[in-house]
Amino acid sequence: MAQENTRKKQKKKRTKKYRKPVNWLILLIIMTVFQLVCAVQINMNSPDIPLTTLYIVFGAYIAIEWAYFIFFGAVLHRKSFEIELIAFFLTGIGLTLTTSVYPDKAFVQLAAVIMGIAVFIVMLWVLSDIDRVVKLRVPVAVVSVLTLVATRLLAHNINGAYNWIRIGGVSIQPSEIVKIGFVFVGAATLEYLQSTRSLTKYLIFALSCIGCLFLMKDFGTALIFFFTFLIMAFLRSGDIKTIFLVCAAALGGGGLVLTFKPYVAKRFETYRHVWEYANDRGYQQARLLIYSVSGGLFGLGIGNGKLRYVYAATEDLAFGMVCEEFGIIIAFAVLLTFVALVVYSIRYAVAARSSFYSIAACAASGLLLFQAALHVFGVTDLLPWTGVTLPFISRGGSSMMCCWGLVAFIKAIDVKTYKRYDKVAAESIK
Amino acid sequence: MKTMSKRAWVLYVFIAAFLAGLVVLFYTFYTNADSWAMKKANRHLYSSGTLSVAGSIKDETGAVLAETKDGKRVYNSDKTVRTATMHTVGDSEGYVATGVQTSYKDVITGYNFVDGIYNLKKYGKGNDVNLTINAQLCAAAYSALGNNKGTVGVYNYKTGQLLCVVSSPSYDIANKPVSSINNDKTGAYDGVYLNRFFSGVYTPGSTFKIITSICAIENIPDINSQTFKCTGEYKVGGSSVKCLGVHGTIGFEKALNESCNSAFAQIAIELGPDKLMATAKELGLGNQMYVGNIRLAKSSFNVTGASDLDVGWSGVGQYTTRINPCQMLSIVGAVANGGSSVSPYLVGKITSQTGKTIYEAKPGSATQLISSDTASKMNDMLRSNVKNAYGDNKFPNLKMCGKTGTAEVSSEEGGARPHAWFVGYSQREDLPLAIVVVVENGGGGASVAIPVASKTMQKALSIYVK
Repeated sequence: MAQENTRKKQKKKRTKKYRKPVNWLILLIIMTVFQLVCAVQINMNSPDIPLTTLYIVFGAYIAIEWAYFIFFGAVLHRKSFEIELIAFFLTGIGLTLTTSVYPDKAFVQLAAVIMGIAVFIVMLWVLSDIDRVVKLRVPVAVVSVLTLVATRLLAHNINGAYNWIRIGGVSIQPSEIVKIGFVFVGAATLEYLQSTRSLTKYLIFALSCIGCLFLMKDFGTALIFFFTFLIMAFLRSGDIKTIFLVCAAALGGGGLVLTFKPYVAKRFETYRHVWEYANDRGYQQARLLIYSVSGGLFGLGIGNGKLRYVYAATEDLAFGMVCEEFGIIIAFAVLLTFVALVVYSIRYAVAARSSFYSIAACAASGLLLFQAALHVFGVTDLLPWTGVTLPFISRGGSSMMCCWGLVAFIKAIDVKTYKRYDKVAAESIK
Repeated sequence: MKTMSKRAWVLYVFIAAFLAGLVVLFYTFYTNADSWAMKKANRHLYSSGTLSVAGSIKDETGAVLAETKDGKRVYNSDKTVRTATMHTVGDSEGYVATGVQTSYKDVITGYNFVDGIYNLKKYGKGNDVNLTINAQLCAAAYSALGNNKGTVGVYNYKTGQLLCVVSSPSYDIANKPVSSINNDKTGAYDGVYLNRFFSGVYTPGSTFKIITSICAIENIPDINSQTFKCTGEYKVGGSSVKCLGVHGTIGFEKALNESCNSAFAQIAIELGPDKLMATAKELGLGNQMYVGNIRLAKSSFNVTGASDLDVGWSGVGQYTTRINPCQMLSIVGAVANGGSSVSPYLVGKITSQTGKTIYEAKPGSATQLISSDTASKMNDMLRSNVKNAYGDNKFPNLKMCGKTGTAEVSSEEGGARPHAWFVGYSQREDLPLAIVVVVENGGGGASVAIPVASKTMQKALSIYVK
């Protein structure tokens, strides 16, 4: 009797864990309608933007969306599409903003989105074979570090940081792409940690990445890498004490940097004093706050905002753009989708075939959420402003590829389990 | 994998921190929305530092004082009206803090947290505000002040409607003399951005005798049978309180008529600091007063621990006492209204962009400041002032009551001229209006302030009594 009870309980638990997947078709239709409304709004509020641009950008984007879902959903019978829905939803908002603010850069951004989705599909294929992952681990690590070193050497100073390089007329931000490598190497190494030597090697890798970013003066990205490193280290070791020690060391180091390099401290001078510097260094943030609340809960409509005329509005101030033109409700919904990615990763971590997938998914989703947090709380002056972009929404090719590459890790957790998923689901229905 | 998911709690902690951050962010947005959206840097509302889009501001007759036309702020067509109402309407740069365009910014722009400035975009204007003031009355009062600095305020003591609020110096809001104001060395534009009616505080001089009298009526049962000696001064504490005349032996009512300082110094000393303070408190001196969103300058009266000489001086409105004209007006209004003070108000109606009335003023809330008995006695004495001292011919057809004041602001011989005050009201049932006039360094209350009050009240009579 008692045994039966526990079995029932277990079954109940499992049923709870494996909910029926959301019906992707309905959500896809809703999302498409949302994107069409965005396109119509752009046309209504900014009649100067050529219709052909809108047709091409939104036509192509919606076509890609449907092609993806039809191929993987209807043809390959994959069941759950939560991750893709989130990624496509966020990318659509970013694409709308770019098209509306910089119509001449819309095609470039569309190309970046297509490349991002390609990266996503390729990554999913790469991740499907754990042996391949292990083999690629060292080359990816080497390439990542070399890329960062090369960036520091080749980059020109843009706004005080050295993180952009130009290749054949295209500006790219290699540190964005390296984020994928950082999660990949970290998760793969920790999965096959066998000796202290390989741990040492990994630490050297992580520290060189973060060190390079510091030399580039890209503190925001350095912080993101550091945070990701902490997540991965903790998931592998479960050792909270060491993590605290690392954090304390990092804080101390940061403090030393601030003390001995006054120009670094100067960057944070406006923190909590945005209005005092409203016409110089706090200019962007002050405008962001003014226009974010001007939009109200429902927004002024795409193209009706004023934040768009402020420098780097679609990149550094993306959150404010969403607040003013889409409304505070959608802006907060966007932020909650990043939480959903992390929750998804945690829930599926238990069912992953290998801890590589669990660590990679948790690290990737944690990275995205952390970056979103730095962006939102930084630009609204609740935290010091580091100038990092809002994943998927901010304009930029490198970051678009990085984001899609990172969601591949989250998706991979599920790709590996969808067959097992069906089996368990079938069981629970009986 | 199990251990992995157990360790995932660390991510839940992170999620919790993030969600807490979102709550804080939303709260920050919600609580600061008004002040952020109203910043001058908001180009939805301002262009080159001046308010460009907002609803219209009209007077009680519906005459436009300010409105937005084709994305520009335009004002009344009459120069005197524009100048006279500048402080009440407020300049478009927001220097006049008590101006409606500043203190009701969120109302006239139609901003709220839920809709943002969406409706402003949609309709090209904000909410419309109907003020209780009468533009013509303001213009008349402003003209009556002439080149003097000072203020005139008129309100209906039964309903609380402010009909006239004028402050001088002012300027034509449609053609601001920017360089004259900025390079002014003559002092002609001193405090030009200050609405003296709301934000000024002045030594009240003899108008304060109304308050001393109220205290005496309440605390000295035989005040009317007492007599006082005036030899041109009242000697006390080794010095004296000077009087402007030599009144000999004089009764209470006569002392008020003649504005005898000697008598009122004696009354004040007889009452003592505690009773004077109690009455001042009762009348609200020292309290933070508001007219809608507009914060008034605080009046001050403090004789705690003061010497007899100082108490004597305070009884005639000198010493450290400072009174805000609007508050003085409402105290006198209470006397006129049987002791019940109706709070003055300025905004009569607010209409949304769609024409819906979203706010309509109810008659201002009434508080019994003094007993109706005291009010009635005070009323008789103020009527007696006009009848027996100033002359009804100064205020034809008005059944006027009131008190003048000549407030010394310099202790030196040949120093700044005194402020001229008049506060009073008409007893006519069809014209229940109270008025306050302050002319800065204007001289005598009777010779300078009464003519201004008279012209303004005659204008009111011609507007409201056909």
